[in-house]
Amino acid sequence: MSIPADLMYSKDHEWVRIDGDNATFGLTDHAQEALGDIVFVEIPEEGRAVAAGDAFAVVESVKAVSDAYAPIAGEVIESNGQLEETPEKVNEDPYGDGWIAKVKVTDGDTSHLMDADAYAKFLEE
Amino acid sequence: MSDNATLAKTPLFDEHTRLGGKMVPFAGFEMPVQYPLGALKEYQAVRDGKAGIFDITHMGQVRVTGTGALAFLQYVTTNDVSKLAVGQVHYSSLLNEQGTFIDDITTYKISDGEYYLCINAANRHKDVAHLQAQAANFDVTVSDESDDTTLLALQGSEAQSLLQPLTDTDLESIGYYRFAQLELDGADAIVSRTGYTGEDGFEIYIPNTAAKHIWLKLEKAGAIPIGLAARDMLRTEMGYALYGHEISDSITPVEAKLMWITKLDKGDFIGRAAVEQRKAEGAKLSMIALKLTGRGIPREHYKVVADGKEIGEVTSGMHSPLAGCGVAIAYVEPEYAASDCLAIDIRGKAVPAERTTTPFVRSNVRR
Repeated sequence: MSIPADLMYSKDHEWVRIDGDNATFGLTDHAQEALGDIVFVEIPEEGRAVAAGDAFAVVESVKAVSDAYAPIAGEVIESNGQLEETPEKVNEDPYGDGWIAKVKVTDGDTSHLMDADAYAKFLEE
Repeated sequence: MSDNATLAKTPLFDEHTRLGGKMVPFAGFEMPVQYPLGALKEYQAVRDGKAGIFDITHMGQVRVTGTGALAFLQYVTTNDVSKLAVGQVHYSSLLNEQGTFIDDITTYKISDGEYYLCINAANRHKDVAHLQAQAANFDVTVSDESDDTTLLALQGSEAQSLLQPLTDTDLESIGYYRFAQLELDGADAIVSRTGYTGEDGFEIYIPNTAAKHIWLKLEKAGAIPIGLAARDMLRTEMGYALYGHEISDSITPVEAKLMWITKLDKGDFIGRAAVEQRKAEGAKLSMIALKLTGRGIPREHYKVVADGKEIGEVTSGMHSPLAGCGVAIAYVEPEYAASDCLAIDIRGKAVPAERTTTPFVRSNVRR
């Protein structure tokens, strides 16, 4: 189970990489593995504003439809259009090519998120 | 997971856990929904010229014996059992007096006085109670053999070459929807060239005591274990009905497009009068097959819309890897069955869909 040290994690199993004013969202390795083969991702439209905890994307596996929740608040500036053709990238490379959306951070509060160590412990519980 | 203690286990439970199968409750059993390979690759293994092995022991088996067996089955099932030859199987159903489905089944003719039925897991107790109640009026014995029987499906173009080394019977001699009683690695087996995938292959009925070693032999020979998720993908792509989805106790064969297994001219049977009436009145709903032309995956219970209003509901849907789009089976109001402006409501968005026919992809069963 991969949990990169440079990311923050939500209890809903999303990761966020904060880079200055912007942030990237994706699903964790644990999430993609629990979902199984991902066959469809509904990516958010550019300009959409999301609050922390809002559903910002829909991820569908063979059997299930799941929402992905924004780890922090932001306005979508780019979505990973590659996922429309290759949703399996979320399985194959959840922290890399499987990223889902980039946002302009509108509220940088990360107090509700976990660092890698805390997330690893959270998964053990 | 806490109520798993009440779930039944098949004789292959330990094999599934050894293989890393993800076990889920299904029809009262703990069954593998997928193995570490994943549903998509399992599906592909069966479609792409390999062979998949499925534990479908949750399904039930009923043996019907006695001089009244034919008359009994003619009365309780919808297909014409008088047309079955020894060694032949047909698809059939059990209806209630309202003409709606108690279950869909397969009927095997072993001899003039002996038949074997395969029934759905979730309907087993209901079916057996119904059959036993009806049996009182016939010279027939109805025995539920489900608890002693393991059912495997071996599906895919390599199925025959993998199974052949386990028996002296020439499997080539078993045609489509035919079966043989044979010795399989020392165990008495019924092997039919039937399945639920649209690929060539067999369904294999064996005593529980033989389950493990036959499974291991087939696995060692290269059969790939397949879970319920891939099984459902394979059957949906073929447009095969699944009880609780396309058929139920509120649907008659007229709606389900199953008049081909409902022989109104064979004599009286339970549900016939109601089906005749429904046929005369016309179907209350039309079953249609849809292919999404927009992006998205249709799922069970999603609404079918036309002219901005809801006109039906999806009963089974999936992303078809082979068709490369979302496909769905749905019931719609009959006046919309031929409409060319249908859409499926996916999270509030009307995604356009076009009428198509099933199977959604080419069937490779051996006819």
